[in-house]
Amino acid sequence: MREALEHLVGGLGTAVLAFVAALWLILVAAGCLVGVGLLFVPTALRLQRFAADRERARLSRWGNEIVGPGPAPARWRDAIRDPSVRREWRWLAWHATFGFAVGILGITLPLNAVRDGTFPLWWKLLPPADATSSLGYPVITDWVGAFGVWALGVAWIALAVGFGPALARWQARPGRRLLTLPADVDLSLRVAELTATRAAALDAHATELRRIERSLHDGTQNRLVAVTVLLGAARRALTRDPAGAEQILGRAQDAAEQALAELRTVARGILPPVLTDRGLEGALDGLAAASAVPVRIDVDVPGRCAASVEATAYFVVAEALTNVSKHSGAAHATVTVRRRNDRLTIVIGDDGHGGADEDGGSGLTGIRRRVDALDGTVTLTSPPGGPTTLTVELPCGS
Amino acid sequence: MRIVIAEDDSLLREGLALLLRAESLDVVATTDGPEAFLAAVDEHKPDVAIVDVRMPPTHTDEGITAAVEARRRQPELAVLVLSAYVEQAFATELLSGGAARLGYLLKERVGRVEEFLSALHRVADGGTAIDPEVVGQLLTRTRPDAALNRLSPRERDVLALMAEGLGNTAIAERLFVTEGAVHKHIRNIFSKLDLPPDDRADRRVTAVLRYLEDTQRRA
Repeated sequence: MREALEHLVGGLGTAVLAFVAALWLILVAAGCLVGVGLLFVPTALRLQRFAADRERARLSRWGNEIVGPGPAPARWRDAIRDPSVRREWRWLAWHATFGFAVGILGITLPLNAVRDGTFPLWWKLLPPADATSSLGYPVITDWVGAFGVWALGVAWIALAVGFGPALARWQARPGRRLLTLPADVDLSLRVAELTATRAAALDAHATELRRIERSLHDGTQNRLVAVTVLLGAARRALTRDPAGAEQILGRAQDAAEQALAELRTVARGILPPVLTDRGLEGALDGLAAASAVPVRIDVDVPGRCAASVEATAYFVVAEALTNVSKHSGAAHATVTVRRRNDRLTIVIGDDGHGGADEDGGSGLTGIRRRVDALDGTVTLTSPPGGPTTLTVELPCGS
Repeated sequence: MRIVIAEDDSLLREGLALLLRAESLDVVATTDGPEAFLAAVDEHKPDVAIVDVRMPPTHTDEGITAAVEARRRQPELAVLVLSAYVEQAFATELLSGGAARLGYLLKERVGRVEEFLSALHRVADGGTAIDPEVVGQLLTRTRPDAALNRLSPRERDVLALMAEGLGNTAIAERLFVTEGAVHKHIRNIFSKLDLPPDDRADRRVTAVLRYLEDTQRRA
């Protein structure tokens, strides 16, 4: 019920937007007849596309993703020829009227339920002529009537619970039908977008591989070479200078231990084993426990996401918490992770002095690179004086 | 033998210095980057430089560039380059000015102290030391119809050891055959590869490498 009400209220919002957009379109169209309207054609079309895109985003959060056609055309002639624009006009007409009415009905039901359900408590206070049910009649004069209104309140609740989800679906239907792209529409923009993100993903992947290669060659391998060099030296010294050989062997052992430590770091950078062992929540708890700044972790993610998504989420939180303790001067930080449909949302907040800057050479660049690779989004708000909030959204890919 | 070491990894740098000093070799300077290395070469005028390929700032081929520059400043300097992995381009760039007083070894060879020291001495004495891995890659990358395929397996072994810079005696020892047999194999190799016979080590290596580079370019 709560979800249905949320959808209905959201739908009411886009209905109002659709109404404004439709009104503006009609005004501009009328203005075109006398000439001045032509100036406003681009804004009207942009407003229309904006309203439609808001509805697309709303419906995408709730069910199947609805892909928009991209930026709006700027001229009447292009708009009239564009089938997706014409379909949006039909949607505007439907949603501004029918969608609006359904939305109003959807929020009236629970309001009426509250009003009539509590009617016996306060009907005595009303002026006698105004003491009616939420329907406006009949006028109530005695307690039997008052409890009759209460029964009506119960009926409202039943209606709201029974029909709320159906109302929300009805309200969404024109959008689902008219705002999707027709099968024959030009998808070149979407293709270009996907190509670009795919290229970015491959690029990030290559960078990641280069980083791993470098840490293996310049770190681990050098340690192991040092081990063999020292062992070779120790063997040569064994007969000549046993005490010296003993000392060299000690150094060789140190170098071998360093190699192991580096190998662990490299492996952890690829896929933290803690993710496999304890899942995302457990892994993030571990990060919080190791953080210098106290962190409250709130993870509500049913099921598991793809390994690459979890690894990126882990990396993002680790990097962000390092930033918090290094730069923010915060006393507390919070990490919230939610999964909604197919998107994982990670919000890292702190009460520090803000002013975080992505160009400041901090870990934010690394975060963005890894998130981009998964086609996710990064939003940073950090006004001077704080607080700082980093929001990362990732497609779950599962 | 006066030696300068250029290696950015401190543990490895110290390990190398320790190893060489334990062999009573004179390590006059250890450096951690191309600039410090070139300064040390200018200052100490060493006989041999041991140079790591990957050094700061970009960790790609700074060592090769520095080695080539050091040789330009001091042509008689012997250079032994150490690499984390076999990179054909590095070997080719390094050897483009001739193979005398040059070595190119994988880092892990250093642990085989006897072989490493013999390579070091060979380079310092005007010879060549090429890592077996490099030679192996050159040999396998040649085209199937290359003239190399006319060689018998034993002749290939001999050619590979020649390419590493070994002399006839050393080749005979490694393959457990007589020097006379090695001589015979080398004559066969030269005739099969249409090279005029010659026993001098550096010309042999140059010839072998030139031939290998050529087949590699055609492949």
